[in-house]
Amino acid sequence: MFKKALLLGIVSGLLAGVAALVYAKVYYSSTEEDFSKVAWPVRIVAASLFGGVLAAIGYWALDKVLKQKGEIIFNLLFTTLSFVSLLAPFAAKLPLEIQNPALFYGMAVPMHFFPALAWFTIKPLFIKK
Amino acid sequence: MKKIIYPVIAVALLVGSAFTFIAGQNWQIADGYSIAFSSNDASGIFKGFKGTLVFDEANPAGSKFDVTVDVATINTGNGLQNKHAKSDEWFDVTKYPTIHFASQKFVKAGSGYQVTGDLEAHGVKKPVTIPFSFAKTAKGGQFTGSFNLNRNDFKIGKPGGDVGEEIKVDLSVPVTK
Repeated sequence: MFKKALLLGIVSGLLAGVAALVYAKVYYSSTEEDFSKVAWPVRIVAASLFGGVLAAIGYWALDKVLKQKGEIIFNLLFTTLSFVSLLAPFAAKLPLEIQNPALFYGMAVPMHFFPALAWFTIKPLFIKK
Repeated sequence: MKKIIYPVIAVALLVGSAFTFIAGQNWQIADGYSIAFSSNDASGIFKGFKGTLVFDEANPAGSKFDVTVDVATINTGNGLQNKHAKSDEWFDVTKYPTIHFASQKFVKAGSGYQVTGDLEAHGVKKPVTIPFSFAKTAKGGQFTGSFNLNRNDFKIGKPGGDVGEEIKVDLSVPVTK
């Protein structure tokens, strides 16, 4: 079970990372505000992968402890934590050469939901109950 | 009467033109300037800065600074903080869009200079003294200065709170001829 969850976490994390990179590129081309000093490609992918692996550990642990209710609690927890993580971009102090830091939220906020989205989207391919 | 008109004109021209020799060098503000502020909690920069800088190292008394900072260009590095700083709780940009400094007196102080003038911010005008230095560069020169302000003197924000009342202002202004 842990192996499947971990694989799901890694793949969903990487998928979320790729989606975030594409989104960052589209966002940059439409706003022309460059946030690459704060959110550079390796950091974006690493953060997404971290989210995926953390979700895998959480899923495995909750499934082990709570059995059937584990998945419901995990889904709630994953979504809630994704929301809570939005505090980070809102509190971030960006380098002063970034002219319009208010545009950072539009880039970072959707990215915080990509790991959860990727996880829920491809989960049936890895774990069937 | 006609006899004295021409001599008067000549004297007036002579005196007037003499003042142009006494007046200091008029410097143009170049890109790359920095108007930064910091306290124990908040820090940031103002990106909009313009005005007249007349300064002569040899004759600082004949110098003149008349500069304006566009408060709406404040950047703390955080979008929410920027919005808060522009609100009526702090700078009230809608009502007081600029910070204005007009010099009154220049003196040589040690290896640098001191300019005393009126600083008007948030609708309050107060005399302040700014110590600064001037260094000649290949393209012109560089003004550098640093001073402290108490934001309560200008009724910016409420007394106390998280943001310190003593605000350090660091200026670095490259200029060209």
